[in-house]
Amino acid sequence: MRLNKVFSAWNRERLGLTMIMASLAVIAVTVFMLFFYQQKNELAHIREQGTNLARLLSRLPYEQLVPPRGQQSTLAVLKHGYIDTDFAYLTVVDTRGIPLTEISSPGVIVPQAALPTDPTSWLGERTLTLGSGGRTVHEFHAPVFDRGRNAGHLRLGYFRPGLGLEPGQIPYFATFALLIFMLTPIFYFLIRREIRPLQQVNSQMDSLIEKAHLSRVEVAATGELRDFMGRFGQFIDSAQQRINQLETDRSGLVTSTKLIDYKRTRIESVLHSLPDSVMVLDESGCVSLLNSKLAALLGVNPQEVLGKKPLEWCKDQNIVEFLASYAGKSFRSFNTEYIEYSPADSPEKTVMVMPYPLFSPKNASQLLGTLVLFRDVTADKNAKQGSAEFIAHVAHELKTPLNIIAMYSETLQSEIGRTEEFMIEAANVIHDESERVSMLINNILNITKIEMGSMCIERKRVKLRDLLEDAFKACARSGKSENLEFKLDLPRELSAVAADKELLRIAINNLLTNAIKYNRVGGTVELAAEETATSVLIHVRDSGIGITEDEREKIFDKFYRSERDAIRAKSGHGLGLPLAREIILLHHGSLEVTSKPGEGTEFTIEIAKETDLLQQAV
Amino acid sequence: MKRILIVDDEPHIIRVLKLAMKNAGYTVDEAYNGEQALAYLETSHPDLMITDIDMPRMNGRELCLHIRQNMPELEFGIFILTARAEREHREWSRTLKKVSFLEKPVSIMKLIVYIDNYFRDSQPSQEKKHVG
Repeated sequence: MRLNKVFSAWNRERLGLTMIMASLAVIAVTVFMLFFYQQKNELAHIREQGTNLARLLSRLPYEQLVPPRGQQSTLAVLKHGYIDTDFAYLTVVDTRGIPLTEISSPGVIVPQAALPTDPTSWLGERTLTLGSGGRTVHEFHAPVFDRGRNAGHLRLGYFRPGLGLEPGQIPYFATFALLIFMLTPIFYFLIRREIRPLQQVNSQMDSLIEKAHLSRVEVAATGELRDFMGRFGQFIDSAQQRINQLETDRSGLVTSTKLIDYKRTRIESVLHSLPDSVMVLDESGCVSLLNSKLAALLGVNPQEVLGKKPLEWCKDQNIVEFLASYAGKSFRSFNTEYIEYSPADSPEKTVMVMPYPLFSPKNASQLLGTLVLFRDVTADKNAKQGSAEFIAHVAHELKTPLNIIAMYSETLQSEIGRTEEFMIEAANVIHDESERVSMLINNILNITKIEMGSMCIERKRVKLRDLLEDAFKACARSGKSENLEFKLDLPRELSAVAADKELLRIAINNLLTNAIKYNRVGGTVELAAEETATSVLIHVRDSGIGITEDEREKIFDKFYRSERDAIRAKSGHGLGLPLAREIILLHHGSLEVTSKPGEGTEFTIEIAKETDLLQQAV
Repeated sequence: MKRILIVDDEPHIIRVLKLAMKNAGYTVDEAYNGEQALAYLETSHPDLMITDIDMPRMNGRELCLHIRQNMPELEFGIFILTARAEREHREWSRTLKKVSFLEKPVSIMKLIVYIDNYFRDSQPSQEKKHVG
């Protein structure tokens, strides 16, 4: 945290620090430049003076430079007359370099250095280092002649100007640095004054970024900045207006999207709830929409079908050919067709396919695609076929007894039938066959009514014991001639059931009639009943020829007749058991059968008790 | 004496037909389904067979087909006597040799006349004939 504070404080004052650093740098650079310039000037001055003096002295007579003993040397005069702070030494040496005379600044020992032997290099300059203190000396040398002969050399040394500050220069530099230092804070405060509004703008912008709502940045400013801030304020206002407008538009869009979504969901719901299977083909003949019922009908995955042509996903050639004829924009007829369709793993279906053109709502002549309705009419077709088969069956079943009646009556009319024995036989046969026709007609009517749903079931409280007794007695009377034993096993008390008495009587009667018809000589027919907690069980048992395992399910099919001789020998039309079961199902009961061929059969009716039915209803 | 085989699952029909045909001078044998008829044909050869279509075990259609396809040596005529009036059965019967189709109910007297005519006509030739 502390580091952070330090950093932010430094960050705030970085301008001031930068300016101090900058001013120091400026001072340093300026001073360096001044020193450099001064040194350069001094070096030029030394060279000019040294060269001139060396040449001047070189022309002096030898005696003046190296006077005999007792005379004052010109160099001594020069030492007194020519005093320069940069002067290091002046000496005359012989040709071997041995000093003949010399003058020097205090503390300076003339460095030993060989002189050039080549006459062209006798006049020149060079840089030497003094043995003591390590100061650098710029030396000028020139030859000395004595009566036209080289008698030695003159060496004049000057200290090379250094970077050191001379005491006299200190006030000058101090004044200069002070001036710059005085200007720095002035500039600093001026800049600070200009920058302050910008900093305010910055901090306000920071808070604006954090806030959701844009507002004008209020800063006391002058001049250009005030203009800028004015425009910036206008920009903020217009940006806020745009944002408000966008926000309004966005909420409008969200609302309309939700509305569209709702409408779409509703349309999809309607589409999926349609009883028919629906497909929409676009202009190119690709599937653009299909409902779940169609996907189930054709056994396809909607996602894999969308956007594809029927050829790519439909395996049924007939459907592919039909749908392919609706690709493209050309006009065509929209006729309903019946297509035999074989879906995988199921029996062949008949599908009615109805194409409808889809026109643009704006331009009724522009074809957008085709709406194709698929309807599974297999059930209708089967129903029609079933109905035709049923009528054929009924006709046949009616014709058979009528045929027998006709043949017997015709024989009766002829001579051969006029025996007493035949007349009795004919009377019995005609009576039985008439009964058969009558029963057949009743059964057909009842079963048809039940199947059509037009059977009005009058459910009343039925005293089951009385009903069973009545039915039993009636059958026992008619079956007396069959030489059978009839047993009735009913509990003393038997709960009432809510049932249609007449229908229930027909069902029980059909079971008892079968028990008599398909019995053996001397066999038994038993009607029994019992109660459980919730229902009443009625048993019809016989000791007859029984029902085989294969036949057990078929016996409830309409017009089914066993192929066994023992059963075929009895007249029947295969409607008694189907009707009995329909009636029991109409009462929400069940009809079960157990049987052993050759030993007998037991049919069990289970009907819920009246109290239980009431409870169910509640 | 001509021998006629009657195949029908209705005993009453056989009873009346048998009575009338015997009276007309024919010998009559009976079978209650196709299987019984085939068993009969293994030992006896009738001059005419009258059969129903709807019968258990082996129906009249299967019986006729079996005789005509597998027993070419038996050239007796067949009368199909049935309550099945569908065109399909009638047309099917035409595809077989010497098979006639009669629809129930039929007058017994007329049937006797058909039988008499059949035997009279079939004496010189074996031509197929359709009646009814």
